[in-house]
Amino acid sequence: MIEMNNVSVRYPGAKHDALSDIDLTFEKGDFICILGKSGAGKSTFIRCINGLQELTQGEVKLDGKQISNMSEEQLRQVRLEMGMVFQHFNLIPRMSVIQNVLTGIFGYRSNVKNLLGLFSADELEQAKRVISEVGLSDMMDRRVERLSGGQKQRVGIARAIVQRPRILLGDEPVASLDPGTSNHIFTLLKEMHQRLGLLTIINVHDIGLAKRYATRLLALKDGKLIFDGNPEEFTESYYEETYESPDNLLT
Amino acid sequence: MWFKKRNILTIILLSIFIYFSMKLTEFDITKFRDFRNMIDFMAQWFPINFSNLSGIVMDTLQTLAMAFLGSLLGLLIALPISFIAARNTSPSPIIYHFWRVFLSFIRSIPEIVFGLILLTALGLGPFPAVIAIMLHNIGVLGKLISELIEAADPGPQEAMKAVGAKGWIVSLFSILPQIWPNVLSHYFYRFEVAIRTSLILGFIGGGGIGQRLFNDFKTFQYQSVSLDVLIIMIMVIIVDFFGGYIRNKVI
Repeated sequence: MIEMNNVSVRYPGAKHDALSDIDLTFEKGDFICILGKSGAGKSTFIRCINGLQELTQGEVKLDGKQISNMSEEQLRQVRLEMGMVFQHFNLIPRMSVIQNVLTGIFGYRSNVKNLLGLFSADELEQAKRVISEVGLSDMMDRRVERLSGGQKQRVGIARAIVQRPRILLGDEPVASLDPGTSNHIFTLLKEMHQRLGLLTIINVHDIGLAKRYATRLLALKDGKLIFDGNPEEFTESYYEETYESPDNLLT
Repeated sequence: MWFKKRNILTIILLSIFIYFSMKLTEFDITKFRDFRNMIDFMAQWFPINFSNLSGIVMDTLQTLAMAFLGSLLGLLIALPISFIAARNTSPSPIIYHFWRVFLSFIRSIPEIVFGLILLTALGLGPFPAVIAIMLHNIGVLGKLISELIEAADPGPQEAMKAVGAKGWIVSLFSILPQIWPNVLSHYFYRFEVAIRTSLILGFIGGGGIGQRLFNDFKTFQYQSVSLDVLIIMIMVIIVDFFGGYIRNKVI
């Protein structure tokens, strides 16, 4: 489904690659978690998949079509198939839950309709159904600033799901949430993943969550892939390699 | 202990600037010995002549309308320009620079100059004053709003791109709700400034209470001047109060 060949990213002015020589393929149905320290290249990795990040080298393909050199319009078509959730939720402030969720289908509609807020009964029905699936049906018209962190991320997930994606990307979706809420959000993500038969790729700090939910685990360190396999195979020594830092080495 | 070399240098420099500024402005406290002239003059302002009250109120409304229309039209034109004059949303660096220079250019021309030029084409009256205020405010609000756009949180913009939304709708939805309270705040401030400006524009034939004040003054109708001034003060206070109220409501 997704193929990454020889992908490297180096930010302007940086001495080292943020992402170095990544070769991977992902298939439908997998729930993939990516582990790594801050700055290991996890965010860059996720962004390469939907073209938010340009590659320095290599190629990313979706169903055999290379997306790295697509026009803006082709890239937009690709993004329609990929929902994304973010660490800081990235909701539209001053708008209600349902208004935010409806922005998820903007890509399918004319901008005039988007601007005027003209939605068909069918589209409204869909948005409401997804909102109730993420458990926010009694907050439909509440402004998103007034929600808790966990509720905001539920809106973020609803926005991604209403888009009817085949692929769900998560850039640290629970890094700003407490452990209990993180667990709920992951359960919800997994539920959506299974029901819709998605390919899900998520960055996560918390190794416990990753091991519990992932069907395939990746670990990045300094932009390089150091682990790719089943969660059970991710042993203590891999853990140490992934998270070792100069501080740890001293002790 | 409190004063470092740099502070002393600053104080010396400031003193020099103050001295020369006083020289240039013929600043001389002893001139106040002719203070009595002013009191004699002010005595002619009373008793206040209320016979023109309804005319003054109408002229005041005209001034308010000039300020409101000029600054609002300025805002409406400045808003779309701001997006192409902001580094992060401009279609190209050339367009960005062009519009920034354009905005500085019209901002550098005082309203009174616009007014004097427009009078030749549009004749006396409030209409050229409205256009003069509008032009200057396009320059001021355009710059202020494009700076707000540049400082906006990129998160929602990324989310709108990720859902596959196209073109200007991305910037509009992800940025405008964020900056809206600040846009209104700037607008109300500019509206208040426009009231003072329209008074001045009245002096050159721009109509409204400014023109009446000027005419009453020039024809020695000091008992009417006092009412003009009183009504202007009341207007400014009311506008100030309403501006504060609306700003609180929105933010």
